[in-house]
Order: sequence, then structure tokens, then C-alpha cells
Amino acid sequence: MALRITRSCIGCNACKLVCPQKAVVRDAHGYAINAHRCDECVSQPNPPQCGEICPIECAIVDNEGRALNPLGSLTGIPCEQEQVIQLTELAGHV
Amino acid sequence: MSRSASQSASQSACSASSPPPNMSAEQAALVEKHPCFSKGAHQFARMHLAVAPACNIQCNYCNRKFDCSNETRPGVSSSLLSPAAAVQRFAKVKQRIPETQVVGIAGPGDPLANPNATLATLKAVGQHDDEVHLCVSTNGLELEDQLPKLLEIGVKHLTITINCIDAAIGEQIYAWVYFNGRRLRGKHAAQTLIDRQLKGLKLAIEAGMLVKVNTVLIPGINDWHIAELAEELQRYGAFVHNVMPLISDPAHGTYFGLMGQRGPTDEELAQARSDAGVSMAQMTHCQQCRADAVGKLGEQVNVDEIPEVVPAELTVAVASRSGEYIDQHFGYAKSFDLFRVGKAGVEALAARDIEAYCRGQNECDEDEAQLRMSRALHTLEGVDVLLCSRIGLPPRQALQEAGISVNTELALKTTPEALEQIRQQLLEKSAQGSCAKECG
Ligand code: SF4
Ligand code: SF4
Repeated sequence: MALRITRSCIGCNACKLVCPQKAVVRDAHGYAINAHRCDECVSQPNPPQCGEICPIECAIVDNEGRALNPLGSLTGIPCEQEQVIQLTELAGHV
Repeated sequence: MSRSASQSASQSACSASSPPPNMSAEQAALVEKHPCFSKGAHQFARMHLAVAPACNIQCNYCNRKFDCSNETRPGVSSSLLSPAAAVQRFAKVKQRIPETQVVGIAGPGDPLANPNATLATLKAVGQHDDEVHLCVSTNGLELEDQLPKLLEIGVKHLTITINCIDAAIGEQIYAWVYFNGRRLRGKHAAQTLIDRQLKGLKLAIEAGMLVKVNTVLIPGINDWHIAELAEELQRYGAFVHNVMPLISDPAHGTYFGLMGQRGPTDEELAQARSDAGVSMAQMTHCQQCRADAVGKLGEQVNVDEIPEVVPAELTVAVASRSGEYIDQHFGYAKSFDLFRVGKAGVEALAARDIEAYCRGQNECDEDEAQLRMSRALHTLEGVDVLLCSRIGLPPRQALQEAGISVNTELALKTTPEALEQIRQQLLEKSAQGSCAKECG
């Protein structure tokens, strides 16, 4: 039972600051969740803290790969437009 | 755009109010040298240190993935500094631009959502130079909680971005607010933020801080509300109001940008400033600079071209088990040998004992580990470089965040050899005057 951080992560460090289990680690490859430490926050009253504060859609997923914050859920930007940004990003236009 | 308009209303209802014309001499001095607070202070330079990546709210004029031109914020990952590197950067800039009187933390996220990094950096800058003005720009959500610590380290200038005091408007500006462990949305989120902003504003002013309020002017959303907002700010005793135009280029990828929300015309901006000017002194010389800005307002300085400042000497702590070699794991060290390494030579200082940071796997309970870490940090106060054979990632990061650079590359050399090598690096650096690699 543990959440994971995907490649969408922008490295804002917010999840690391709020994780009650100190499960979020940063290394040369970026941010990751230590599967041994993460208890998906079941031990405390609020929803998974990393998922509550992360500003980036799809950056945190459960062990089935489902995003805690799916496309369109955080910025309010309709998915289509969001995807256009991601495409331009991929094409290196930013 | 009257700078003295607030005079007329000095008999305000709020007891916290101390309108600018009645400023104390101390406050006047605070204004005088701050380029963002006083138009006359443009000969003084400011520097923003980008040590605060996390944010606790989402504004619709901001896209966390890119550089943001509305808030004073570069992209999150592009230019992030550790507190130690930030102080280095300050020392370097101060040497090159001695007019640097103001050091601020403005992002890339919200400084108070990153309290440890923000406070450690400001504290270290203040220790390096006790004349510099320390300031913080925040969305205000965590201000109430962090205010005592800000005061303790001597922060006297504060900027709070308050875009409205009406949750029905705020709901159109803020997508979410993370508070007390939950992501709030809608009106409730906006109301929480506004309440906390005003509470923080009140307490900061009561504590004698000089508070500037930034407002992003968003046509059709908060433009008609600016006068009301300014009136409230005046009641609270804010020092100056900075109405900034929304910048909403779709290329920035913000919600407003992509949804076609336009920024104000010059006339609309002038109108809003004159509306607000009825109750609040307006700031008109703002350059909307970024969280990594350096130099005088309107001036570009490339910090990478400034040679690094080489310290005259370094305090080095050594973790040694044998007493001869750098052969101790940080977590098992019970004491550290201390040395002062100067260009001329190495001098031994009194060793310092700690209770070992880690007592072995089984006993390494989280809270206790944290307690020991804070003891270790306490023991290592004033140390610039730590030499040890090995160290775990979390303590390494904690030390670096406290401004101590950790070096395991000299492991298994003898202590004198290692110290000599550090001295050579010091000499080399001061000879070059610049060095691509960070010390240690
Ligand atoms: S779910 Fe909770 S325990 Fe797991 S990484 Fe996120 S914040 Fe930490
Ligand atoms: S909060 Fe999200 S974007 Fe920020 S570091 Fe964590 S996973 Fe990455």
C-alpha cells in the first residue's frame, strides 16, 4: 500500500513538507515515495496529504496507476487545452 | 494617484491603524532604503532568493509549471537554491553591489509554505549582514502562524498579495487552498484565505511591520471592488498598496490566459489606482520582478557572472572513529573534532560531543531520529563543512538546509590530509576569484 509520484512532478517539494510519514524522498532522479513508509495516510484523519497539496494533475497515483488529481481537477483548465500545453511542452516550444 | 490621500482618514475605526503620515521614525527609516516601498529608494538594490518552491494555494493567474509574470516568481525548478547556496549568492552579490540593502524571499511558491527554508535563509543572511532589510512576500495563508518566527529573525517588511476581501470574487481567482490538511475549493477556500490574510495583516501591523499589499487587477472580476478593498486596507493600517495589472498571455498556460481573461488596459489600471488612491497610498514604480531578481529596480544583473565570494576561513567538523582518519558514519558519531581552516593554516578547536544521531536500525524510531537530528544540528552550529565517511540522505539534506555542506569524498584520508586539501581548495578559489563548483 503506497502511492507513487509520476514524471509529471515538477519538484515543488510541497508533498515532502506535508507527508506525515516522511515517506517522500528527493534524490538525483527527482521525487519519489518510499513504499515502506507510505501508509496512504490511513493512520490520520485527512486524505493522503501529498495528494491534497500537489499542484500538478496526474503527478501522484495509487498503486493501480489512478491519479489522485486527474486531468482538469486542479487548475480548472479544460483537459483539451491542458493537453495542448503538454504537447507544446513535449515539442520543446516552452 | 495621491500619495497623501490616506491622511484624510486618520480617524479610522480600527485600532490597529497607523496611517503612513503618523509613521514612527523607525518606520520612516524602514521605508527610506527599500526600493519597493519607496520611490526615492531606487538607488538601493534588492535581491530575491528563490528558496521556497512549495505553494499552498492555486491562483488562476499562475501556472506552477512555468515562469509567472504576475507574481514575483520564476518557474519552480529553474533556479531553486538551498538556503546555504542562497546565502552564498547573497554574499557574492553584496560584494559586487554594495547597495544591496534588501533581501527578500518571494517564491517560487509561497515563502511561508516553506517555513524552514525561508527562515533558515533569512536568519543566515541576517547573521552575515546585520544591516540588510529582510522581507517576505506571501499570500498570507500561513502568516498568523509564522509571524512570531519572522519577527524573531528581524523581518520588518512584508508584502501580502490580497486580491479581494469578498469570497464570491475570491472564488473566481483561487482554484484551491490547502489548509489544515485539506484541499479546499470554491467559496469556502476563498473565505478561508481572506480571513487568514486579514488576520495576518492585522497582527503584522500590530507587531510594527511595514506591510505592502499587492493586488492583481483582473478586469470584470475585481476591478469594481478595488476601492472597497483599499478602504479596508487603510483601516487595517497597511502602508502602501500596489495594484498590478494581470498578465494573461495564453503562452504562460494559466487558467486566465487559456480561458481568454484579458488584462487591464493602461486606462483601466490608472482608474483602479486612482479609485484605490482615495484611501491607500499607491505604489506606481513596481516592476513586477521575479523571485530571483537582483540589483536595482529595472536593472538586470547576471549573478553567474559575479565571481564567487571566498570566505577567509572555514569551520570544519570531522567525524572520526579512529581519531586519525575520516572514518566515522555521521549517524554513529558521538563527537566531532573541530578545526578552523584559514588560508595560512589549520587550527584545532575544542571538540564537541553529541548523543549519536542514530543508534542502529531497530532503535531508529522516526520522532527520536528527528530529535537527535536537531541535537546534531545544535552541536554543529557555526560549522561550515562536515567531513564524515558516510551519511544518510535525510540527514545530509537537513544539514545542507541548515547551511552546512557535507563532504564524504575525503573519507579514509587522514584528518590532516583532508584539512590540508580543504585549505588548498580555499587558496585555489581565492586565487581564481571564481569557482564553478560549490565548496565541499
Ligand atoms: S499518502 Fe501520506 S504517507 Fe503516503 S506519501 Fe502521501 S503524504 Fe506520505
Ligand atoms: S507536490 Fe506534486 S509536483 Fe510537488 S514535488 Fe510533490 S509530487 Fe512533485
